[in-house]
Amino acid sequence: MTALTRRAALQIGTAALGASALPNFAIGQSDNRPSITIAVQKIVNSNTLDVLREQSNVGERVFFTSLWEPLIGKDWLGNLMPRPGLATEWKRIDDQTVELKLRQGVKFHNGAEMTAEDVVFTFSRERMFGNSEAKNRSTIKAFENIPAPRPGKELPPEIPAVARRAWPDLLRVDAVDKYTVRFYNATPDVTLEGRLARYGSDIMSRKGWEDAASYLDWARKPITTGPYKVVEFRPDNSLTLEAHDEYWGGRPPIRRIRFVEVPEVPSRIAGLLSGQYQFACDIPPDQISDIEKNAAFEVQGGTILNHRLTVFDKNHSQLRNPLVRRAMTHAIDRQAIVETLWAGRTKVPAGLQWEYYGDMFHADWTVPEFNPTLARDLLRQSGYKGDPIPYRLLNNYYTNQNATAQVITEMWRSVGLNVQINSVENWSQIMQRNDSRAVRDWSNSAPFSDPVSSIVNQHGPNGQQQQIGEWSNAEMNQLCEVLETSTDRARRRTAFRRMLEICEREDPAYTVLHQNATFTAKPKSLKWKASPAFAMDFRPGNYV
Amino acid sequence: MLRFIAIRLGRAMITIALVVTFAFIVLRLSGDPAQIILGPEAPPEAVAAFRKAWGLDDPLWLQYFHYFGAIIQGELGRSMRDGRAAIELVAERIPVTLALTLPALAIKIGLGIPAGIYAALHRGSLADRVVMMLSVAGFTIPSFVLGLTLVLIFAVKLGWLPSGGQDSWRHAILPVLTLGIGGAAVLARFTRSAMLEVLGQPFIRTASAKGVPWRDVIVGHALPNAAIPTVTIVGFMIGTLIAGAVVVESVFSWPGVGRLLVVAVANRDLAVVQCILLLVAATMVTSNLVVDFLYGFLDPRLRQNPGKAS
Repeated sequence: MTALTRRAALQIGTAALGASALPNFAIGQSDNRPSITIAVQKIVNSNTLDVLREQSNVGERVFFTSLWEPLIGKDWLGNLMPRPGLATEWKRIDDQTVELKLRQGVKFHNGAEMTAEDVVFTFSRERMFGNSEAKNRSTIKAFENIPAPRPGKELPPEIPAVARRAWPDLLRVDAVDKYTVRFYNATPDVTLEGRLARYGSDIMSRKGWEDAASYLDWARKPITTGPYKVVEFRPDNSLTLEAHDEYWGGRPPIRRIRFVEVPEVPSRIAGLLSGQYQFACDIPPDQISDIEKNAAFEVQGGTILNHRLTVFDKNHSQLRNPLVRRAMTHAIDRQAIVETLWAGRTKVPAGLQWEYYGDMFHADWTVPEFNPTLARDLLRQSGYKGDPIPYRLLNNYYTNQNATAQVITEMWRSVGLNVQINSVENWSQIMQRNDSRAVRDWSNSAPFSDPVSSIVNQHGPNGQQQQIGEWSNAEMNQLCEVLETSTDRARRRTAFRRMLEICEREDPAYTVLHQNATFTAKPKSLKWKASPAFAMDFRPGNYV
Repeated sequence: MLRFIAIRLGRAMITIALVVTFAFIVLRLSGDPAQIILGPEAPPEAVAAFRKAWGLDDPLWLQYFHYFGAIIQGELGRSMRDGRAAIELVAERIPVTLALTLPALAIKIGLGIPAGIYAALHRGSLADRVVMMLSVAGFTIPSFVLGLTLVLIFAVKLGWLPSGGQDSWRHAILPVLTLGIGGAAVLARFTRSAMLEVLGQPFIRTASAKGVPWRDVIVGHALPNAAIPTVTIVGFMIGTLIAGAVVVESVFSWPGVGRLLVVAVANRDLAVVQCILLLVAATMVTSNLVVDFLYGFLDPRLRQNPGKAS
């Protein structure tokens, strides 16, 4: 046996070290894509990355388009209209059934190929619906069929409720063959394609679910098809994503994306200016000009699919008379709010609707005109005596919320309305049902391109406003039924128009103030385009 | 001595029970965790399911009874945000916070006490005035202002240090300085006052008159007598090690106990808030106990008559 001298051992060790280092070095050299850090106010609210559990704007930012993808996608950098996603084509079998052809060769983050089996599982009881049942028409009745929480990998209790809200009448999903699926609805529904494109209808790997030790383990590292996969998620701290090089849409342009939670605006801006972060999100409008004074930086972004509303409780003694609410809608100079508080970077929309509704959009509809004379006249007709009208206000939950509240309170005062701000701390206090609830703030989104997703879901019989007893209107509720069940597009369009008239003019449930907007600061040298949404798109082609 | 310890521990338990009860009542009466956690857009049926699952529909007294009963059995509950054990969540954050507060405590003691002694020994001099001016500045500038100023100088302008985060030891420098400077200023003022008071005592004059070297007078007589108020303040600072960096952790995006507390309170995540409060109360009570024992060590008169220490 040959004795191993110290010199020989050192040589072998050095050679081994070198040999082990070389391949890594070579790999590192071949991947010269950048890594970026994005400072956000909040990564997610629910401490999970489950698209059904995290129903928030901040969640949208990290989920789409990096992690989760639906069968029918959106044109994220354009007008958000539907476009092929994980399905390449789809067709109606009848008013209740849609068939979709899946994109072939799509790989999940675990390397497995996406097939119809994964789609069926995504819409299964085990993953989505629990013990809840499809209702044979309209949205489900609140408080029914909610499964009890179970230990282990069972669903958190709110998930079946959220899923049923998104898919109230879905009966089942069948795999026709490996790459074809059919969605069966209990009733005719023209919005099925829209629901397939909505937040929450995104596809996950069945194997990924089964391999996870618990629901929480899966929800912190979901196996999906997006261009980036989860490396590490530290709740309330950071989320690190890595390029999924087998992504069906091409090789992702960024090697690693790290979202870090930086709650304070000055800290986010300081980190951007110092070069620590490549993107600083959630920039308030009043900071935009300061950032752009530095020629090396710019602020991107703008309007998103979300409108800011002022909501009325028509059961409050001072607001029972619709003339008072109508006066309130005419006393607000919305354009002044947009110009002064938003630096003109958002707009006053055409009521509670969005252009991406397509043929359901009423381009000639407007919010109530700013007309103080009319407002005073309406108040005079109503017999309003100047009694206090409480306005429950959260501390800047929405951007510019406090300032907007103060501005519109003064606008109301100028026409003779005695609205008094009552600051509260949380949503529970905002919604508490008693005599001091009259006016509050809210925002409404449109998860898919049809009015059912907003005016029906938020202000209809099963919407929050009616469920918490703020407002209801018999004609509106009948029209919701039409919008949900009719397949006659002309009839639906007329019904929607009438709903806008009721909710925004005749018996105001709310009044739209302005479209919401979000702003992201970055160095000008980074070639990246913001989408008209919270989602940040880092797919191939949108980052240089 | 045993009786002394037993009384102290008994009081500590009552204090902790009161803190927990108070927090439970205030948090539960001021908001529904289901609506807060799920957000304003949550469907009513989701809110109802969440309330049912977490027992939030039960009468408040029953919820309190369940909660307190569990605490007595050592079960601190689960976070309503993700179902994990609250103690597990808090335990993860404690070392993160201590990584800031322990070095900051060292700065407070290492900078504040010598500066206070030096100022006292040079009362009225330029050095005294400079030390006190800096002390007043450090004492009065809010930590978020100091923190952001340091970020502007060292991160944005000079580019020497990161502005926030917790990725390496370099990320800890600015938050540690922010915490340390303010605390050092407080200690410097207290130490100076205590020293000046002791230096004016007759026994100091007597020792000097008897020809004891000035250095020995200071080290042997003045410092031990001036230590009691300083030890009290240091004890308080030790009590805040766990959750005393809430603002600084927010400014520097440091994911410690302070930020967890802010998020948990905002979400009415009761089990997590209660768990942190229990820890804070226990730390404060323990540090007070240690300070009480130190009083006896520093002042033999208190050892002979422990009642005076309380």
